[in-house]
This record gives sequence, C-alpha cells and structure tokens, in this order.
Amino acid sequence: MSAGAGGVALPESQRVPYSASPSLRLKVEQASYAYAATDRSAPKFTLGPVSFIAQQRELVAILGPNASGKSTMLKLLAGLLKPLSGRIEVDGMEISELDLLVRAQKIALVAQESELLFPLRVWEYVLQGRYPYGRRLRFESDEDCLLAGNALAQVGADALRDRWMDHLSGGEKQRVILARALVQQPSLLLLDEPTQHLDIGGKVELLRRLRRLADESRYSVIVVTHELNLAAEFSDRIVLLHKGKCPRIGTPAEVYQRELLQEVFDAPLEVEMGYSGRPRVILRGSH
Amino acid sequence: MIVALACCRAVSAAGAPSQAASDKRATRNVTDETGRRVAIPFSVRHVVTLAPNLTETIYALGLEDKLAGDTSFCDTPPAAKLKPHVGSPQTPSLEAIVALHPDLVLATTSINRAETVDALARLGIAVYTSDPHTVRGMLDSVAGMADLMGASEQGAALVAQLQARLDAVHARIAELPLVHVLFVVWEDPLITIGQNTFIADALRWAGAESAIVAQQNWPQVSIEEVVRLQPEYIVLTSDHSESDAASKPSELENLRTRPAWKALKAVEMGHVVVASDEIDRPSPGLIGAIEQLARELHPEAFALNADGRNLVGAARVQLEMVASACTKKECVSCAL
Amino acid sequence: MRPLTPRRILWTCAGLFGVLFVMVVISLRMGAYPISVRDIVDTLYKAAMGRREEVPVEFWQVVFGLRLPRIALGILVGASLSTAGAGFQALLRNPLADPYVLGVSSGAALGAIISLIVAPHVVGAIQIAAFIGAASTITGVYFLGRRGGQLDSPTLLLAGIVAASFLSAIIMFLLTMVTGSELRSIAFWLMGDLTAPPPTTNVLGWLGFLFFVFIVAAGAMYTTSSDLNLILTGEQEARHLGVNVNRVKFVVYIAASVLTGLAVSVSGAIGYVGLLVPHVMRMFFGTDYRLLIPTAAIGGAIAIVLADTLARTVVAPTELPVGAMTALAGAPVFIYLMRRRMR
Repeated sequence: MSAGAGGVALPESQRVPYSASPSLRLKVEQASYAYAATDRSAPKFTLGPVSFIAQQRELVAILGPNASGKSTMLKLLAGLLKPLSGRIEVDGMEISELDLLVRAQKIALVAQESELLFPLRVWEYVLQGRYPYGRRLRFESDEDCLLAGNALAQVGADALRDRWMDHLSGGEKQRVILARALVQQPSLLLLDEPTQHLDIGGKVELLRRLRRLADESRYSVIVVTHELNLAAEFSDRIVLLHKGKCPRIGTPAEVYQRELLQEVFDAPLEVEMGYSGRPRVILRGSH
Repeated sequence: MIVALACCRAVSAAGAPSQAASDKRATRNVTDETGRRVAIPFSVRHVVTLAPNLTETIYALGLEDKLAGDTSFCDTPPAAKLKPHVGSPQTPSLEAIVALHPDLVLATTSINRAETVDALARLGIAVYTSDPHTVRGMLDSVAGMADLMGASEQGAALVAQLQARLDAVHARIAELPLVHVLFVVWEDPLITIGQNTFIADALRWAGAESAIVAQQNWPQVSIEEVVRLQPEYIVLTSDHSESDAASKPSELENLRTRPAWKALKAVEMGHVVVASDEIDRPSPGLIGAIEQLARELHPEAFALNADGRNLVGAARVQLEMVASACTKKECVSCAL
Repeated sequence: MRPLTPRRILWTCAGLFGVLFVMVVISLRMGAYPISVRDIVDTLYKAAMGRREEVPVEFWQVVFGLRLPRIALGILVGASLSTAGAGFQALLRNPLADPYVLGVSSGAALGAIISLIVAPHVVGAIQIAAFIGAASTITGVYFLGRRGGQLDSPTLLLAGIVAASFLSAIIMFLLTMVTGSELRSIAFWLMGDLTAPPPTTNVLGWLGFLFFVFIVAAGAMYTTSSDLNLILTGEQEARHLGVNVNRVKFVVYIAASVLTGLAVSVSGAIGYVGLLVPHVMRMFFGTDYRLLIPTAAIGGAIAIVLADTLARTVVAPTELPVGAMTALAGAPVFIYLMRRRMR
C-alpha cells in the first residue's frame, strides 16, 4: 500500500517498514545541489556532496558561517529542493518522492515567525498541525485534541492554551509554533536559525528545550545555526559546512579543532574543554 | 414546507403574465409609439401616469377624474400634487401602481425606464408608452392618448386649438431668418442640445436654431467654441417655481461677471432670454413656451400687434425679458 | 479546547436560517400594496394546493409576481457575494478585499453596457453579456496575476486593480456616447437592482439554474476551507503542512470569481455586502472557514433581503436602488469594525 495515497492517514501497523536500523531517521547520502544564474552559465554556488545520518533522540547541528550552504541544506532536508545527485532519505524513503501529505507527516519545519491575518487562539493554531492526518476537509478528533494538549505541555505552553496568538510575547509564540510542529508527529524536526532574535537567556532556554525534546522522543532534531557554543553544548553531531563543502562531520569534540574553526569562520578562535566535557570556543584577545 | 411547495408551484405559474384581468373585459390590441403591442380595455376608468408631461396632458384633456395616480414630480397643474403618488418617474413603486387598480398606465420614453414598462407588462398591466421626438409628434401623441381613454372629441379639440396657435406663430415668423441661439441645458460643464432632440424641434417652431450642430443629444461644448460661433441669443431655462421678476436681471449680471461669457456679443447686448421650463416637456404647455420664446427672439414680428399675447389656460407662461441696455425696440415689447 | 464539529456548524446554520426565514416573512409583508400576513399565508397555501383561481389576481401579482422573485434573487445574490468576499479575503491575504477588487464587476458592467447600447430590448441579453464580460475579466486577470506559472497574491491584486481601472475607463468613454434613456438604464443597473426581469418566462427554472451554479461554486470553495485556514497563517507554513497551495488558490479564485460574476450579471454591482458580511460573521463565529463560508452565505442573504426591504419602504413610494441602501448602512458598519480592530 503506498504511503498517504489520497491523504488518508495510515494506521501504525501498515506504515512502510523502516530500513535496516529502526532508529535511523535521516540518511543523507552524497547529496549535492547547485544554483546557477541561468541554465547555461556555470553554477554560482555548489553544495556538496554531503553525507551524514541522524538517529532518533539525536540533535544534529548544521553549523557554518554565512553563505556556507546551510539554508540550501535545510531546503534539501525539507524537500523543498531536489538534490541533483545522491539521496536524502527519511525513514528509508526518498524525500523528494514523497506525497505532500506524507512528507508533512514525516518532516516538521518550525517557522521562525507567524504572520496571522485574523485572530486565532493558541489551541486552534496548534491543532492545525494535525492537517497531514486525515481527509482534505477534516474535523479534529479527540485524538487530535489530546496530541495538541500533549504538545503544548511538552513545550511548557499549557497555560497559554486559550490565549489569542497575537497577544503572545515573542518567546511564547515561538513555543507555540514549536508545539504545532510537534503535533505533526514527525520523524524529523527541522529548525532554521531559531535563536536569531533571542537574547542569550532565550537562546539557552530554547536549546535546552530542544535537547529535552530530543531525549524524550522518537524523532531527530536538526538545527541549522551559526552559534558555535550552543551547538557544541547541546548537539550530538555537528555537520560543519564551509563554502558549500563539508570539511568535517562528528561529535563536537571531533569537529572543534582550532585550525579548522579558524579557517572556516575566519576569526581568531581558541578551543578549550568546558565543564561538561564539551568544547568551548572563545575569541582570542589582541594580546 | 408549505411555503416551499407554494413557492415552487406558484413562481413557475407566475412566470407568464396573468391573463385573468384582461380576460374579464373586452380589450383591443394597440401598438404604442415604441412598437410594443398592448391590450387596452375599451372602457378605461383608472389611469396612472408616470411622467409630469403626461399628467399635464390628462388635465388639458379634462380627464382628471380618471387619473388614479401620478408621480411625485407631477406638479403642473397644482391639483396634480394632490393625487396619490406612485413614486418618482424613474423608480416608481410597482406595488403602489398595482394598488391603484389601473386599466391603463401611461409612460414616456423621455423619462421612464424600459425596465419599469417591462415589469408592469409582465404583471399583466396595460402600459402605453409615448415617444415624441417632434412637436407635431407630441400633438399626435395627445390625440392618440385621448382616443385610448375614450375622449376622442376632447382630444381632437385640444389638438386643433394647439395647432392653431402654432400656425399663428409660424405665420408671423415664417419669412424671418432663423435666429442662432445657444440653448444652455447646464452651465458648468456647458451642455447644450443636439439636432435630434425634442428641444431642437421646439426651437425651430420658435424661429430659432441651435448654433451648435451635433449628432449627440446632449453635447458638452467648451465656452471657447461658443465664443467663436457668437450666437445671437443665449437661452437659459428657468426653474418654474421662480416667478419673481425682480430676480431676473441677476441672471444677466451673473453671466456678465464670468470671464469667458463676457466675451459673447449676446451677453454684451443683453440678448439673454430665460425660457419657461415647459420648453423641454412634450405637453400642451409647450405651445405656450414656444410662443413666449418666439416673441422674445423675434420682437419685431410681434411688436405691432396689440393682441400678441395669448395665454392658454393650463400653461403658466413666464415672460422674462432680461435686458439692461434697453433699446427702443425692446422697450416697446416690454410694454406688452 | 473545543474544536469545530459538523454538529456545531449545522446548528449555527439552522439558527441563521431561522433569522433568514423571519426576514423573508417581514419582507413579504412590507410594501406599498396593503396585504396582511394572513392573506399572504392564504395565497401561499392556495398556491401550494393548486387552487390559483381562488386567489385575487392582485394578490397573486404582488406576492408571486413582485415580492417573491425579488426576495429569492436577493437571497441568491447576497449569498454569492458574501461567499465570494470571504474567499477573496483569504486568497489575497487582505481583509479589505471585496468581490469586485479583481475587476469582475467592471467587466460585467462593460458587458451590460455594450448590450444596452447594441441590443436594448432583447430579453436576457443584458445578463448574458454581463456574464461574458465577467468571464473574460476572470480569465484575463488570472493570466496577468500569475508569477512563475502560479497565482501570486500580490501580483493578482495588482492585476485586478489594473483591469478594473482600464475597464472603468472604457465604460466612462461609452457613457459619454450614449443617449438619455440608455444612460438612465445603465446608471440604475450599475447601482444594483433586484427587479431586473429574468431572461426567460420560466422564473422557477431560472432561479433553479442560478441556485445550482451557486451550490457548485460555493461547494467547491467549501472543500478547501481547511486548507484556507492553514494558508491564512502563512503560505509557506501551509505548504510544509502538506497543503497544495497552488491548487487551492486556483479553486478559490475560480469559485469566488464565478460567484461574483453570477451576482453582478443578474443584479448589477451591489456593494459592501461582500466586504462586510464576512467580517461581521467572523466577529460572531470566529475565523474558521469551515464555519465562516456557510455563515457568510446565509448572513449575506439576510443582509440583502433586509436592505431590499428597506429600499422599498424607507422613502415609499419611490424605490431606492438596493446598492444605495447597502452603501448607506455599510459605511457606518465598516467604520465600527475598523475601530474594533484597532482596539
């Protein structure tokens, strides 16, 4: 039975079996992409080939300076772009071949902002995340409501349930947006520079929450970021990108080597071991 | 449930005009002036008019007892204001018309909408539409309507009377050249009349001709064009509720203050005439307006005849001569 | 957390239908011709039983010839315009959108004017010509409003505004060329008129056909109501949740345009209803389109029947055009809604 034909949700027992390792959520195999100004001119920017995996309960950071290809990588993972070569598989299925609704069941992209046209309550907003499961014109079931409630609890936004979306603070809104993504019950949770507009307290709080979610769940969390220390502190694996190439993939300790970081980020950086056994990056002074 | 069923059965049946009303009495088929075939009862007891000129005609024929209702605009003669109203000529209430149980409804193309006539026809009400384009056509209309209402004698008499007055005017001015005038329908923007309008025909009977030649009915012209053409007279229309002679000179003064108008010889010489508003209404009162206008534009043809003035009963004629530069000729006609 | 259920939709619609029914009864009662409710019911009953001969001719004329067709047309036009308005507000992501913003009414008006000039007394010509004008405008604006082969909201809005101005300019030119009686007919048509005669004498068939078109178009739009809810929180986000945004936009565009074309062809350009009724319904029932579309439809019907009744009775016996009434009532309502939003 093909997955998601006609947009009907498949019961658990009939889902396509995962390949080899049941906990392997994401497999990127020699994926590459290129942008060109026109069809015939030489590519302006090439990404890849890149290969890495993500297991469930892992938080993977895609790290790199600006213009390193991070957003392109994210778009490939989200299925918005099709790789020119190689494969990107989620739960053993090639992303670009997935039906729209099935893709939404597997991959949740957490938006940074939400521009609402008309007032909406928080619970209504979160419930929308259940769209991929069910018929086109659907009405929410009790199960949907339960899942929405759980998602809100997971992000600590339970008290916000009946509030209006446009009366929330920035941080509260972000948690609600995250809850909507969780309610999709994805295999991959993708975030694109989620700490951009937050102060340091907010950044830490967010990464802690993501870490906890990853630990308690069955999905992988993939975060695109350029925050060196946060990535080091909270991620299990780091995919380092530099001008479209992938010089290193590994644990933070493996990736954070002084010469490598200095070359990639073009800044005088020093690496030292932190309290938690994870590397910390500091800026070398002028002395 | 019953409502729905009733609606379904009834609306389908109501589609065709109800024949019940006209079947009960003998009717004859008549073709009205727009070419539409109408079945009109032989005995017409209740008439509703949808335009002021039609109301005026009814009163002129002496048939006001048959008039069941008219529009809120019908104010000539004053007695017409007391009749039941059915609304404005453009948007009358169809229900109000039905409520008056008319045997015949009179309409005219110069004011009424075809949609109103169509709607009444669909309800099975006889509507006769007149379509006068010329003064003689208007007289034929009057005779025709009199026939419909069973008043052929009165109709013939009225038409003969009006025709006689027209012939009298014609006799006086037939030899004279036509006076070129600018007939002002609206001042700002400046709108005048085209060749094919009713007013143009009326003007010709009064011995005048519009200086502007246009195929459009209401051409908008620029004042510079008028200055170029230099018409001999300017003809304005009055609001017929004004009857205060003292305010008339102000019209000429008003024109004299306006820059482009000052350049017109007609304004300079005081050749500004205010015609009665009956001039654009196809009704018996039109004849009086033509007489008035003829007299003002061709004073020399009327000056020597002491019996020149000829006011006919129903029409109110306003003789306003607006002149500040008073030449001998004009003084003599003022004295009339 | 009380999600929307089909039951709640049905109950809300039932309530609104009740209001509409009362409105229809009042409207049947009001008018220049004195006829009591009792007589009306009697007439309806006898009609249902097929005993037409027993009904006084004038009662029949007034109830079935004048009032009912008008009310029925008003219900249809009101429902079409409000549903179209709700659709356009979502499609264009603009709360100020009304059914005419994409130029459909100008196209219909141009068609109507041309038919009034060319074939003034041909029965049904004006409706058909208006609909052709509307359909052409819909197609033209669609192709102008695309970007990269897909409907793009800002581009669509611009294309519609351009089309509307261009068509209005042509209309203005034509208006200077026509004579008095045609001008009058055009002016009244443009103001919105529910008394226009149907193109056939089979009134029931005509109304049935219009109703059928309404159901098809509104139904098509309703199937996308879940999608619209998501699109309103962001197009990209909706895509990520699996919504086929391009398909939804196309369906809504066609459905809303057909509804507008339908309404304008049969009754001219009645304003404010398509803009305001969706907002008022949002105020009462929330912004969920699964509920908004049906409530807007019924609400629009109520609004037009009310406006038409007032137009017939406020300065009796003269009849105001319905469009004038909706504008008179609509402006204050609009101001009130705007101020509420500011707060």
